Amino acid sequence: MNQGLLNLETSAFYVMLMAYTLCMFFYWAWMGSKKDLMGQFATYLAIVGLIANTAAIILRMIIAGRPPLSNSYEFLLTFVWGITLVHLFIEYRYKLRSLGGFVMPISFLILMFIIMSMGPEERIAQAIPPALKSKWLTFHVLTATLAYGAFAISFGLGIMYLLKMSRGADNKTNPQGVISRFPDLETIDELSYKVIGFAFPLLTLCIITGAIWANYAWGTYWSWDPKETWSLITWIIYAAYLHARLMYGWKGKRAAWMTIFGFAAVLFTFFGVNYFLPGLHSYASSQLISIV
Amino acid sequence: MKEHRDEGIVEELWKIFSSMKLGLVLLGLVALVAGLGTVFPQANLEPEKAKAVGQIWQTLGFTQIYSTIWFRLLLGLLCINLIICSIQRFQGIYRRTFGLKPPESASTVPNKMNVKLTGESESLKKSVHDVLGRNGFKVTTTESNKGWSFIGIKRRWGNWGSLISHISFVVLVIGAILGTTMGFKGFAMISAGSTIPINSINVSKGTVKQDFSVHIYSAEDRFLANGERDNWYTDIGIIENGQEITRQTISVNHPLTYKGVTFYQSSFANGARLIADIKEQKIPMVLQDRGGNYFQAPGTDLYLIVAAMKNDPQSPAILYQVYRGTGVEPVQTGQLNAGQTIDVQGEYKLTFEGSAGFTGLQIKQDPGVWVVWLGCALLLLGLMLSFYWRTMVVSGFFESGQGPDGELTMGAMAGKVAGRVQKEFDRLIHDIQAK
Ligand code: HEM
Repeated sequence: MNQGLLNLETSAFYVMLMAYTLCMFFYWAWMGSKKDLMGQFATYLAIVGLIANTAAIILRMIIAGRPPLSNSYEFLLTFVWGITLVHLFIEYRYKLRSLGGFVMPISFLILMFIIMSMGPEERIAQAIPPALKSKWLTFHVLTATLAYGAFAISFGLGIMYLLKMSRGADNKTNPQGVISRFPDLETIDELSYKVIGFAFPLLTLCIITGAIWANYAWGTYWSWDPKETWSLITWIIYAAYLHARLMYGWKGKRAAWMTIFGFAAVLFTFFGVNYFLPGLHSYASSQLISIV
Repeated sequence: MKEHRDEGIVEELWKIFSSMKLGLVLLGLVALVAGLGTVFPQANLEPEKAKAVGQIWQTLGFTQIYSTIWFRLLLGLLCINLIICSIQRFQGIYRRTFGLKPPESASTVPNKMNVKLTGESESLKKSVHDVLGRNGFKVTTTESNKGWSFIGIKRRWGNWGSLISHISFVVLVIGAILGTTMGFKGFAMISAGSTIPINSINVSKGTVKQDFSVHIYSAEDRFLANGERDNWYTDIGIIENGQEITRQTISVNHPLTYKGVTFYQSSFANGARLIADIKEQKIPMVLQDRGGNYFQAPGTDLYLIVAAMKNDPQSPAILYQVYRGTGVEPVQTGQLNAGQTIDVQGEYKLTFEGSAGFTGLQIKQDPGVWVVWLGCALLLLGLMLSFYWRTMVVSGFFESGQGPDGELTMGAMAGKVAGRVQKEFDRLIHDIQAK
């Protein structure tokens, strides 16, 4: 394999890591100091990180000659990519810089997880079993990336909402506080709903493309494997969120808790199923599905 | 009297089943039960561990939770809930999409988003029509002695999104039921060169009604130039009434379907082609690597297995073992190269001819799978309509004053994302005023 490309990929990874980490601190610094320069730095660093992230993914695709979806490392790399992409879009579209202070830590923690828990042998491009050679899998991962990214954003918004609400009283006495930079509660709430409305069809598409792929590979579109089951549970939680909001006017605080709950299910679908639930590895296909 | 009471019960049930509260409770229960199934080992995924779970849990169905009557009942209730809810909502949605009537007075114009414009009647009417038409609204107007009024709708199919997603869920469940009740699912490990009748395979679900056979021409484990595995390939022929109907090479992710039965390449094992020569009778056989199967020479109590195999295409070799009766220690072992013949315990002669693949085929008939795909398509369609194609309705009432001038009250229905509707509404008003 081409050593030059490999080195380039590693460099891209570390540039990304540094950019995202610094960017998180700059978002915090901006929230604390309200110096616009800090905020601009934060945004630029996020963009630099996203470019490096994209480069790392593309280089990996060139090296491996396939979409980046053969192991947890590659999926986490695209997960972080999805989070940052959706975040930058929202920040630009809704002029919502403070969101960065809540979203970038998620990416940071995921990257720390990669660094701490994955040895180099888990990060290299590996040969993939024949079952993973399917174009459906590409759609599967792409939709998962965007949907999970958007759910991470709604999680960040949920935290912002709860913080702003609990400091509601302080806010009046201290109009200079960090939280005064947040948009008003209603805006946060509606934005969060919009983001989930964008992501829910994508999550559905992700599950469906996964089913189509499984049907080609094993002749079973749904086998109640823990990974599949937890993605269904996540789906049900967000469906419940949408319905409760529509029919019972579950907005504001309850809705914010639901976004946090939903994102916990997203994380559990990925990490929990891989690392906590017992005895998955006896089933050959669950190892393959365990990518998303 | 009795009839009256029956009606009461029917109505009562209808009311319960048309409520979304029940729907949410059912969805929650489905999630909960599904979650439990990932904590308890399931018999279909981990049979050994499932057997080790306490007997009481097994009896209650916790180790096969997804096929218990309770879980199915939940899904069934959810379907009834969705069907009744959809019937109930159909008319309303139809009216909100196709039966829109312009407001009869200024006070029936939606007032959450509301603007009053003054101007000359005809020119205002024209600019309303122009602007709304240009923005994709379908406009209906009525004239009255007091003035005129209009209603315009855009992206009208968005209204149907939730109904379509609800029905799609029922379609999905019907597809799944068809699959479990009318299909079968089986597995076969077949060596290259052999023919087996389809109804002789091991089935884990359902029964095989078809009576054709499959012949395996070859089974290969192919590698790419860089040493990575390319795929497993099986050259497979379908034989019916002694005639070959079709022949195709399948691989993982590229199955073959004949008469509703689909053959999926799911695994592969190496095997050895051997010939046993017993009293001038030659018996060909294929034995799987690592003792996957055995050969008992007729008239003896000798069992032969292939314990290991070197699958070099130039010079394949096997490590064989011979056991006698129920003995645990082999009575004879050794290595055989291609073309070599040895004597087994003085009973027969064994020749190793070369390697042959064993193909692991998942064989399945699922008449419900198309219904499932239809359900998936409807689900996506419904969700896209709900979230990416939201209906927008604007309406207005023009009240003539003295002369040609008057006041137009215009409003839009504030949907679920009021902010976006407000923006679009403001833009429309701006355009109308600019005229
Ligand atoms: C099985 C999974 C279900 C899915 C995928 C689903 C999907 C949807 C969607 C996408 C919407 C539109 C939401 C929005 O625009 O924010 C909706 C609305 C609604 N759903 Fe469901 N739903 C499901 C189950 C149920 C159940 C069990 C009920 C209870 C009978 C129900 C009753 C309703 C009602 C009454 C609405 C309001 C529609 C409106 O006013 O626009 N849904 N559903």
